[in-house]
Amino acid sequence: MDKKVSVKVCLGTTCFVMGSANLQELIELVPKKYGDRVDVSGVPCLGLCSIDWEFSKAPYVKVDDDIIKEATVEKVLAAIEKKLS
Amino acid sequence: MFIDIDCSQMKKYDQNAFGDYFVSKRYPDEARLIAVLSDGLGSGIKANILSCMTATMLLQFIENQQISIRKAAEIVMNALPVCKVRHISYSTFSAIDVNDDGHAKIVEEGNPEFIWIRNNEVLKPNFETIQSKTFKNRKMKIYKIDLKLGDRLIFCSDGVTQSGLGGGRLKLGLRRDGLIVLLQDKLKEHPDISSSELSHYLVNQARNIETDRRPKDDISACVLYFRDPRESLIFTGPPYHQSKDAEYARMFANFKGKKAICGGTTANLISRELNRPITMDTTISIGKLPSCSYMDGVDLVTEGVLTLTKTLEYLENGTSDIDNAAGKLVNFLLDSDCINFMVGAKLNQAHYDPALPVEIEIRKNIIKKIAEVLQSKYFKKVSIQYI
Repeated sequence: MDKKVSVKVCLGTTCFVMGSANLQELIELVPKKYGDRVDVSGVPCLGLCSIDWEFSKAPYVKVDDDIIKEATVEKVLAAIEKKLS
Repeated sequence: MFIDIDCSQMKKYDQNAFGDYFVSKRYPDEARLIAVLSDGLGSGIKANILSCMTATMLLQFIENQQISIRKAAEIVMNALPVCKVRHISYSTFSAIDVNDDGHAKIVEEGNPEFIWIRNNEVLKPNFETIQSKTFKNRKMKIYKIDLKLGDRLIFCSDGVTQSGLGGGRLKLGLRRDGLIVLLQDKLKEHPDISSSELSHYLVNQARNIETDRRPKDDISACVLYFRDPRESLIFTGPPYHQSKDAEYARMFANFKGKKAICGGTTANLISRELNRPITMDTTISIGKLPSCSYMDGVDLVTEGVLTLTKTLEYLENGTSDIDNAAGKLVNFLLDSDCINFMVGAKLNQAHYDPALPVEIEIRKNIIKKIAEVLQSKYFKKVSIQYI
């Protein structure tokens, strides 16, 4: 059986105002496209903005263990494709 | 005992200002509460000014503790002028000075007598009458009563007892007896009803019996309910010393009462220390706020600064029943009597990135403002602990 890809969208304060509010469409988009091969969820905070000293890299999304900085819907979808191929 | 107090008001039909004035203040250090309800002569702006002056002056006289409530009320009674046209007093008032043990002193001048309810029966307290030295037709009633857990006191302006006056069904208006029937029926149905709901109910009922539902006078109902306090704890922001995370998580876990967490980092901290997983609401956040999360043993988990800022806005504007995280936090706060904030003092530098919206404020400041509005507008007991 194929491994399931996990996608975690940070919905903490910094990420939310820096654009993760728009990434929420992934929650609807991804299951439509990939069915249950990918698991998307929001998380309260990935804790990355406070340790990454180049703060402006928010919003963050985690695809399995890979961190996507300045995440956009396109970047996340590309990362999922890469994982699944 | 906790004193749950609230007052509902309605303006006379076609007026743009309230002619009755209600003011209340809690003194947490002395476990004491003072409230005054005043009815100004006539209606509209004039009545508003008269009642506002009477109520605020009386409150200030009593709170300074230089003189007793009895003396303060007597001074006001003797000083209130008489309307040249109507030859009646410019305003009437009821005032209560009560502590958490239930010892209450009440004075009344001109307002309908208050109603004291215990086990859904009306009690008849003794009172002393003081005759005004300057005005023959002015008398003041003074009560000293001891309240028990579950007791209720209802103060109202004559707009309530005289509602429906001259109308079809109740020719003499609702009167005190009618008001008591309304109260007892409602309390039989909902024995634990909050003061806020009960006062709203009374005011609405009074309006409903007015012809065409148009109040002929300003209507005010003030309810005091003596009950066990509903405690709640809000943990927001990570502690300044990370080494104390475990200790604070334990304090949070051991708290008896309702609990909320506001902040992603804070939620992660509690989740880690107490080994309780977090699940996030799968619905897409509506508007500008992240949605809530869920954790066992915690009544509400939200994002931090954005949600708190929105909550402050809702509390200040009196907005209720909004279906988002801040709306839920507003309900959580208003359903509590004693609210404890545990505020982590650690700053997240990422929040100070100039690229972020300026609305992102310092957590401490927002909490301070929320505490102020909860105390002054919603009469809650609030404590803040910075950690």
